[in-house]
Amino acid sequence: MKANWIASFIGMTAFAACALTTPALAVANPQPVELIGDVKVEKVVVENGKETRSWIKPQVVVPGDRLTFSTQYRNTSTDKVDNFVVTNPIPAGVMLAPDGAATFDVSVDGGKTWGKLGALQVADGKGGQRAALHSDVTHVRWTLPVLNPGTTGTLTYNAIVR
Amino acid sequence: MKQGHITILRLTSAVTAGFTFAIVPQAAQAAGVLAGTLIENTASATYSSGTASGSVSSNTVTVKVDELLDVAVAGLTTTPVTAGSTSVVLEYSITNTGNGGEAFNVTVDPAVAGNGFDAVVQTIAYDSNGNGTYDAGVDTVITNGGATSSLAADASLKVFVIVTLPAGATDGQSSQVRLTADAVTGTGTPGTVFTGQGEGGGDAVVGASGASDNATDQMIASLATVALAKSASIVDPFGGSQPVPGAVITYTLVATVSGTGQAEGLHVTDIIPAGTTYQVSSLKLDGASLTDAADADAGVAGASGIDVDLGTVAGGTTKTVKFDVKIN
Repeated sequence: MKANWIASFIGMTAFAACALTTPALAVANPQPVELIGDVKVEKVVVENGKETRSWIKPQVVVPGDRLTFSTQYRNTSTDKVDNFVVTNPIPAGVMLAPDGAATFDVSVDGGKTWGKLGALQVADGKGGQRAALHSDVTHVRWTLPVLNPGTTGTLTYNAIVR
Repeated sequence: MKQGHITILRLTSAVTAGFTFAIVPQAAQAAGVLAGTLIENTASATYSSGTASGSVSSNTVTVKVDELLDVAVAGLTTTPVTAGSTSVVLEYSITNTGNGGEAFNVTVDPAVAGNGFDAVVQTIAYDSNGNGTYDAGVDTVITNGGATSSLAADASLKVFVIVTLPAGATDGQSSQVRLTADAVTGTGTPGTVFTGQGEGGGDAVVGASGASDNATDQMIASLATVALAKSASIVDPFGGSQPVPGAVITYTLVATVSGTGQAEGLHVTDIIPAGTTYQVSSLKLDGASLTDAADADAGVAGASGIDVDLGTVAGGTTKTVKFDVKIN
């Protein structure tokens, strides 16, 4: 019991320290892991017939634009974290882009069941089932078995403004 | 009595319905998230640490959707509209394929390269009561270059252009009339930004259509010309053909209607020449006798002259009127 108290205290300290350096994390909870979300929009500039793609902070977004949503994670504690599962509902107004959609688990039923996109089915509206499309995806999910202290990384998915 | 004309081939309701059907899937495909919509993304994670488990959420990133200016115009006339002496209605549809409410400036250009004639634009109106048919005096009339009402995203509006044939158009000539719709906010190369002019106070961005589109409807002049030929044959009381008193003159009036159109309200009239007397009940149309009285049949005849009402006569038709007079 006493050991647990100490562990919590250390966790809190660690978090407080991290909160100072990463103001994006506003809520002061004693979490051993932090998540920082970001979004970029793809801009294609065609000059002299050559396409240049760049990813910029979105200022103007219209239907058909491609967005990349990223979530940076970091184990800010001194302990190992297990079964780290990051879930991201696809926001209303965008759909998952087809590229890269096969690299993580997705759900097409609001997060109830999960699998690779190619293995999922949805109702076809005519009483039957059809293969799920990227536009049917409601959630994406990444599973990391172990996060060692200090481990950091970024999870991204591409989306298209509907 | 030199020229007769025809009326318009109206788009039947079946044709109109066919078009409505054709437009719907396109509109559905164009469905875009509405201008002003906030796209908010938040990730969350669950984990275990030792024996404890926990969850954490990321910050929420928000992107606001700006207005995309896009438009699609379609001519709703698959078969060219035939135009005669009266005005014809050309129908077009304007679909707001953008994602915000937008009005469109409508420009009608009857001078399209390759035209046999350039139609005279009388009226431009949009289907303000939404019944799909032009209602003179009801549908809102706009000037050439004027704006429609605001169209919601993905909404379509029918525009009617009322045209007539110009003087000098000849039977069988064809012509195209182009209708162009430009977003009122602005047009330009795709990606052009109109800062602060989007719906909901955001920006407006020109989409793939350049915020402008156009389409043509085709019309064909369908006119009829009427030629009238008069001839006379004489039978005298002595079995000869001398124009002597008592001889009977049979006048033959042949009306030939040519062209792809039809002559409307066509009358064949003639007077009884001085010094002759109309022979009672001698009036004939295409060999069939007509009564002299003004009654159900087409002819009226008397001392002053004859009048045969042929009504509407299609091009390629010949009508023959005969009557007899006796030389006094």
